[in-house]
Amino acid sequence: MSSEPFKNVYLLPQTNQLLGLYTIIRNKATARPDFIFYSDRIIRLLVEEGLNHLPVKNKDVDTHTNEVFNGVAFKGKICGVSIVRAGESMEQGLRDCCRSVRIGKILIQRDEETALPKLFYEKLPEDIADRYVFLLDPMLATGGSAIMATDVLIKRGVKPERIYFLNLICSKEGIDKYHAAFPDVKIVTGALDKGLNEQKYLVPGLGDFGDRYYCI
Amino acid sequence: MPSGTRRDSSVISQHYSPPWTTPYIIGIGGTSGSGKTSVASKIVSSIDVPWTVLISLDNFYNPLNDQERKKAFNNDFDFDEPDAIDLDLAYEKILSLKEGKATDIPVYSFVHHNRVPGKAITIYGASVIVLEGIYALYDKRLLDLMDLKIYVDADLDICLARRLSRDIVSRGRELEGSIQQWQKFVKPNAVKYVTPTMKNADAIIPSVNDNRVAVQLLINHITSKLELKSEEHLNKLVRLGYSDSKAIREHDTVHELKRGNQVNAILTLLLDRKLSSDDFIFYFDRIATILLNTVLDSIVPYKSNHTIVTPIGTELCNQIELNLDQIATVNIIRSGDCFMRSLRKTIPNISTGKLLIQSDSQTGEPQLHCEFLPPNIDKNYKLILLTESQLISGAAMIMAIQVLLDHGVQMKNIAVVVLIATEMGVRRIVNAFGGSIKIFVGRIIDRSELKDKRWALKNFIDSEYFGCP
Repeated sequence: MSSEPFKNVYLLPQTNQLLGLYTIIRNKATARPDFIFYSDRIIRLLVEEGLNHLPVKNKDVDTHTNEVFNGVAFKGKICGVSIVRAGESMEQGLRDCCRSVRIGKILIQRDEETALPKLFYEKLPEDIADRYVFLLDPMLATGGSAIMATDVLIKRGVKPERIYFLNLICSKEGIDKYHAAFPDVKIVTGALDKGLNEQKYLVPGLGDFGDRYYCI
Repeated sequence: MPSGTRRDSSVISQHYSPPWTTPYIIGIGGTSGSGKTSVASKIVSSIDVPWTVLISLDNFYNPLNDQERKKAFNNDFDFDEPDAIDLDLAYEKILSLKEGKATDIPVYSFVHHNRVPGKAITIYGASVIVLEGIYALYDKRLLDLMDLKIYVDADLDICLARRLSRDIVSRGRELEGSIQQWQKFVKPNAVKYVTPTMKNADAIIPSVNDNRVAVQLLINHITSKLELKSEEHLNKLVRLGYSDSKAIREHDTVHELKRGNQVNAILTLLLDRKLSSDDFIFYFDRIATILLNTVLDSIVPYKSNHTIVTPIGTELCNQIELNLDQIATVNIIRSGDCFMRSLRKTIPNISTGKLLIQSDSQTGEPQLHCEFLPPNIDKNYKLILLTESQLISGAAMIMAIQVLLDHGVQMKNIAVVVLIATEMGVRRIVNAFGGSIKIFVGRIIDRSELKDKRWALKNFIDSEYFGCP
């Protein structure tokens, strides 16, 4: 079971298995096939953790022995929203658990002139306001693009308490900045890093997630 | 390691013994050419237990040195005295079989008068062993291991006639040499050493053309003993489900999946008999993956002194390095096979073994049909995930664990992984192995719940998963 080191932050249990998986993806010597496989393993754990927070309702089913089983069923609809490009790497992990889930996309890039993040593109499910949203972005460093993306969601009518922000690594600094803007959004993460370096990379981090997943 | 192994096996002997520890051992002795082999094969074919093996003492002839071999080719070597046979080795091997261990039996070549190098017959899991040979009833140590001793008695003239035809037709020898050997060695030894072993026998069978009645009497006796043995085996399994007052979840080796919303919802879906087979497979794989991750969260082979550098140049010392190649899985066919996909999703190149254990359709007694295990399973792996999707009586799983232990795997390295289990089944495993086997279950169904959860007593997961009843 996950722990909650800060309010609305759910940290995966720091087991030897999980720490070992992080060792693999943090190591710069890890080649891309392994980086992808083990990142996907962690993403799957994040998705399962997020799904476990969703509410259920009672449901009775008929079993193979014709007895009734008093079980539960998922309540409410979900969708994924990935922040292009690195966040798209997490879509497969979501699909592995929810096969036909709708996935929206948001592209945010740094404006060359102002050096501030700027929204370039958004494509979201029409009924997103009725859904639980899994916001996908592997690294929460400064929180700049995540805040902007969350802002887009809320403007589309999504309730903040229905947003789960899934990332592989975050820092206290990033959490504080993000939660200052959206205290009710739940962050699901697997690792808490020390902080940021001068280039605004997480330390020790794992480098540029998108580059390592897609290119290098 | 040897001390650990010894401790393990002493714990088991108090609790569970599969049918192949204490196999029923039948010794058949008699002079050369008396018809031992034909009596032995009649018994083997009539008792109709698939786990019967016939071992000839001929396999244990001592290898000859060059000088002796020369003599042998000139029919001048005495194969018929007790010393020609390595009775120490025979005892060692039969004892090992009696203890239920996988055992290599040497193969002897009569053409080369030597053991065939690099060739051995591996015997494992036999419930009945028939040991046949002229000196089968000679060695006190071997006699003590036998449950039934049979001497096949024949007139020496008849023996000679049979021997000549066999030597010449099957073993490609010359008539003259055979007769010389008979006169010089076979006959004197038979009189001196073999015939007296008749007094060690429980039954003496005449080797006349028609000994059907005598053989049938023996077969009836053996069959009734074997039925008794299976009954004891089953009773023992039943008793293992009781005699423990501690609540099953309080055993620290028993782990049940946390009942989160997702787990509960997936379980509900799987129990719904209206679920399509597509969805069944999908949701089984999902919950199996969750279960496997829980196992690895709790126990995973690793080293913790790994140093890495991250892409931004930070050096990290004492990091955990997973040794995933030290994990293997053994699936009980077919219900354990359902885990294959989720296993490969978790550890792509995991070494995989398979065991076929089926219940006798009449008595329900579990029976080991075959085992395919990764080589050096005792040395190469620190964690063996033994999978079965449902644990009902627990009998097959107990047998599977025993198979691993017999192959030298240590108890601490075994993790049983099961999606749905009855409390009774889990308790049997706990009791059978002194609480030393780790057991991971998706959902344990308590004894009190069974009255309205009889689905836990029916194998439905594998038939749904594979789409065949």
